[in-house]
Amino acid sequence: MKNIFTTLFFLAFALVAEAQVDRTQMPEAGPAPEINLKDPQTFELRNGLKVLVVENHKLPRVSIQLSIDNPPVLEGAKAGVSTLTGSLLGKGSKNIKKDDFNEEVDFLGARINFGSQSAFASSLSKYFPRILELMADAGLNPNFTQVEFDKEKQKILTGLKSEEKSVTAISGRVGLALAYSKKHPYGEFMTEESINKVTLTDVIQFYEDYFVPANAYLVVVGDIKFDDVKTLVEEQFTPWTKAVPPSFGFSKPADAQYAQINFVDVPNAVQSEITVENLVSLQKKDPDYLSALMANEILGGGGEGRLFLNLREDKAYTYGSYSSLGNDKYVPARFRATASVRNAVTDSSVVEILKEIERIRTEPVTKEELENTKAKYTGRFVMALEDPSTIADYALEIETENLPKDFYKTYLEKINAITIEDVQQAAQKYIKPDNVRIVVAGKGSEVLGNLENVTFKGRKVPIKYFDKYANATEKQDYNTSVPTDVTANTVLNKYIEAIGGKEKLEAVTSYSLLAEAELQGMKLNLEVKKTNKDQFMQDVKMSGNSMSKQVFNGDKGYMVMQGQKKDMGPDEIEKVKGESAPFPELNYLNTDITLEGTESIDGKKAYKLKISEEKTAFYDVETGLKVQEATTAEMGGQSITSIINYLDYKEVSGIQFPFTMAQTVGPQSFEFKVSEIKVNEGTSDTDFE
Amino acid sequence: MKNKLLSGGFLLLAGFCLQAQEVTYEEYELDNGLHVILHQDKTAPLVTTSVMYHVGGKDRTDGRTGFAHFFEHLLFEGTDNIERGKWFEIVSSHGGKNNANTSQDRTYYYEVFPSNNLKLGLWLESERMLHPVIDQKGINTQQEVVKEEKRLRYDNRPYGQLITEVGKNLFKKHPYKDPNIGYMKDLDAATLEDVIAYNHKYYVPNNAVLVVAGDINVPDTKKMIEDYFGPIPKGEDVTRSYPKEDPILTEVRAKAYDANIQIPASVISYRTPGFKERDAYVLDMISTYLSDGRSSKLYKKMVDDQKQALQVGAFNVGQEDYGMYLVYALPVGETGLETLVTEMEEEIAKVRDSLISERDHQKLLNKFENQFVNSNSSVEGIANSLARNYLLYGDTELINKEIDIFRSITREEIMEVANKYLRPDQRVIIDYLPEEPQSN
Repeated sequence: MKNIFTTLFFLAFALVAEAQVDRTQMPEAGPAPEINLKDPQTFELRNGLKVLVVENHKLPRVSIQLSIDNPPVLEGAKAGVSTLTGSLLGKGSKNIKKDDFNEEVDFLGARINFGSQSAFASSLSKYFPRILELMADAGLNPNFTQVEFDKEKQKILTGLKSEEKSVTAISGRVGLALAYSKKHPYGEFMTEESINKVTLTDVIQFYEDYFVPANAYLVVVGDIKFDDVKTLVEEQFTPWTKAVPPSFGFSKPADAQYAQINFVDVPNAVQSEITVENLVSLQKKDPDYLSALMANEILGGGGEGRLFLNLREDKAYTYGSYSSLGNDKYVPARFRATASVRNAVTDSSVVEILKEIERIRTEPVTKEELENTKAKYTGRFVMALEDPSTIADYALEIETENLPKDFYKTYLEKINAITIEDVQQAAQKYIKPDNVRIVVAGKGSEVLGNLENVTFKGRKVPIKYFDKYANATEKQDYNTSVPTDVTANTVLNKYIEAIGGKEKLEAVTSYSLLAEAELQGMKLNLEVKKTNKDQFMQDVKMSGNSMSKQVFNGDKGYMVMQGQKKDMGPDEIEKVKGESAPFPELNYLNTDITLEGTESIDGKKAYKLKISEEKTAFYDVETGLKVQEATTAEMGGQSITSIINYLDYKEVSGIQFPFTMAQTVGPQSFEFKVSEIKVNEGTSDTDFE
Repeated sequence: MKNKLLSGGFLLLAGFCLQAQEVTYEEYELDNGLHVILHQDKTAPLVTTSVMYHVGGKDRTDGRTGFAHFFEHLLFEGTDNIERGKWFEIVSSHGGKNNANTSQDRTYYYEVFPSNNLKLGLWLESERMLHPVIDQKGINTQQEVVKEEKRLRYDNRPYGQLITEVGKNLFKKHPYKDPNIGYMKDLDAATLEDVIAYNHKYYVPNNAVLVVAGDINVPDTKKMIEDYFGPIPKGEDVTRSYPKEDPILTEVRAKAYDANIQIPASVISYRTPGFKERDAYVLDMISTYLSDGRSSKLYKKMVDDQKQALQVGAFNVGQEDYGMYLVYALPVGETGLETLVTEMEEEIAKVRDSLISERDHQKLLNKFENQFVNSNSSVEGIANSLARNYLLYGDTELINKEIDIFRSITREEIMEVANKYLRPDQRVIIDYLPEEPQSN
């Protein structure tokens, strides 16, 4: 009896226990976690260096961050001097050679990096004294040498060169320059010219002016004792000479007076970069700062933002569309909504972005949007707290951004208190569709026609034109119509005439060409041989290895791609025959090649001939010379366009040959410089076997 | 004077003690065999809930490869109480993040939430263990997703097949011979019955470990775990007896082709012991010695000084039953693959034939100590280590003492282990070559 009773009792108990958790219901969140943000310990050196220390003994490691909170610096004609200074710092010091410095840091398993007005180091805490010493030594006693200067300068110049035609780089540069003007620290940019004006002396001067302790903060976080840090920092940084950086005024930027498209023609663009931007006077200490962040997050903060859902998920115009809202205590920051889109949908994308930034102002966000965004912010805030350097970052912000002392302690309360109305008010204040610049960098001949018809709130959006360095220009002529007396034949004849005339070209039985290019620091060598007997040989080598070779003897041929040899099939033979003639244009005459109109190639008008389904060629309207060839090929289900620009024509044996061939494939571009051309010599039949 | 000296010594000692870190945890087992590890850390109001199942690519029958990885996907489809496709939304709208991954040996699922959503994390994982929805619709969807993943991660990715090729050549009998992601024909051939049977066999509490780490109240957490995981029925015991490999006694040469590359690679590979063995730790040290950082032996010689290689690397792929040790190089210019083999072997031979220098040994210890410290820097990382150490290494405490194993490895032992496993007659050399894309 007793037993039965117990069993029953247990059963009941088990039932109760089960009933306590109803797994058909998603569990509710418990009470919001309490945030326990500690304050760092601080001290200040006589030279002005402020030091923040966060002791955290969980792990035996330490990080050291030096940041110098100087106002923005206008570099003017020598733009790039700060970048150069940053890359020359941290290469040893007057007391320790660069190689020894690197070897020691590596041996200790540590790292040290420098910017022009900052430094960072991390290591195990047992090596803290030595790492702090090395970092202070490199920062306070830099060893600026001409050799390193030349090396770094060359790197920067190569970098600039490689992104000359990059639509993303052009769009970024012009977007800033138009928002702030080129005479503003945020609007100016490095050019080959400005980098070439910078000397080692300028770098030293920049360092002496701005690498000073007046606005400097040193943040030390980790498994260290405050007293030890104090002793060591005093020892290492007291020699840092007290100084205040020079201060200069600069122009105050202003928004556009009315919404406008600022168009930059980038003829090689296959995608347009769209940036819709306006200036915002927003600082972290503003009461509506967090509401403004919420508005931006809902508009375009990520994969759940409205821009993404509209332009990607719904319309499939782009891989992603996002927005961002900056803040700055010195000058206005920017609100930006961006997307990279296919040429054909450039105008539609502009329309949709404008629609969304208007809607975030006019329609209240939904309760669900706001709640999910708050949850995201809460999660991010809490996750960041795990990293002990967050405490220091927050303390530093409170100091440098003049925030209330409890700004981060009450952060989650503030986030939770934000209402739908707060979000709308902030959107209305900071997102200004009536004064936006719509910066579009793209291919004028394909996108401008439609952009001219973009309307916003019933009015046409005017277009202003700029070059890729943000200088105002006139609208270019994208008129693709051609005079009635011009045909494919007249274009071809003019070209033939321009490079030497039919008679001279027909007298060419063979020619050979050697050229060289550089790709990511590796040498590419090109060798081409052609004869009028349809013989053809082309070999591309990378660092001495043949990457692709095609050989055709007039009847049959083969290709070697990365070591694999393959005989040419009938289709390939057909193609190679079209290419193998020394001057294929002679064979184009009186065929069904069509004249497709004109396009602007590097700012000059050129006739466009459709040679085949895969290939188009462009001939300068004025000079008649061939300026570009574009070939499209299918690769792995994707169509890839390779563009070759022909420049720098020079005469060899009475015939004009291009001595520069600039090739662009996808994001890569490289320039072949011709080193040798031989006409009617330098080939033999064995070359084509 | 004497006092001063004493206090100096004392300080040093205190300093030393600070460097020894201790991850505290508690572990126990539920009646259904689910092993539970709790780690409390109140640094931030965060909690990680994670489940590691002892099932990976190697747990399959012939003709049914890739099942564990397939399940990694399938078990996000939904449960009796979670609608299909809602998993990720539930996580992100509660301020959390989640993910999963699969190796040849185990599958790992986890979520990180603000600590007030601990219950939600436990509910999600217990739902997954108790009653995931497994139906033809989910199978069809995930078959396509996995194929897309295979294209992205293996087929279209330069050098994406390298590890697969090494596995294929180092193993003849053991399931490690097949790729973790499996063969697509096997996935296509999988029937609903196969899939359900696999789920019942491996995804059971007695074949898993649950880790809850972060800002938790231990008694409350234990109660919640009992509530959500207690009712899950225990499964059959999981037993494994995979065939043993015959030793490699003469050098093997093989060729492999990859359509995505332009520059070939030369790979020297060796079959090494499973990661539980002490020798596996020594091999980890040898790979760091050979190729980690700009002052490492292979990098300095082949990339920096002699400019023969574009890239060179050595790594130890740790696995439960056997490891794979790889040394590889990509040539620059006219350098032939044979030259690369000769140069790599020269450095490996030095490790076999002579002691590494004391300074290099110290540098290795510094690097491993750094790694060890940083591997425990997040609660998320600690949760993963605890689960792995218990489930695969059979020793949860490794989280605190793994570094002692490295510290105890002497220069003599490095030489001895190199002689045991990295001899030329034990190696498989693979010429990994570019291949023209096959035109259809």
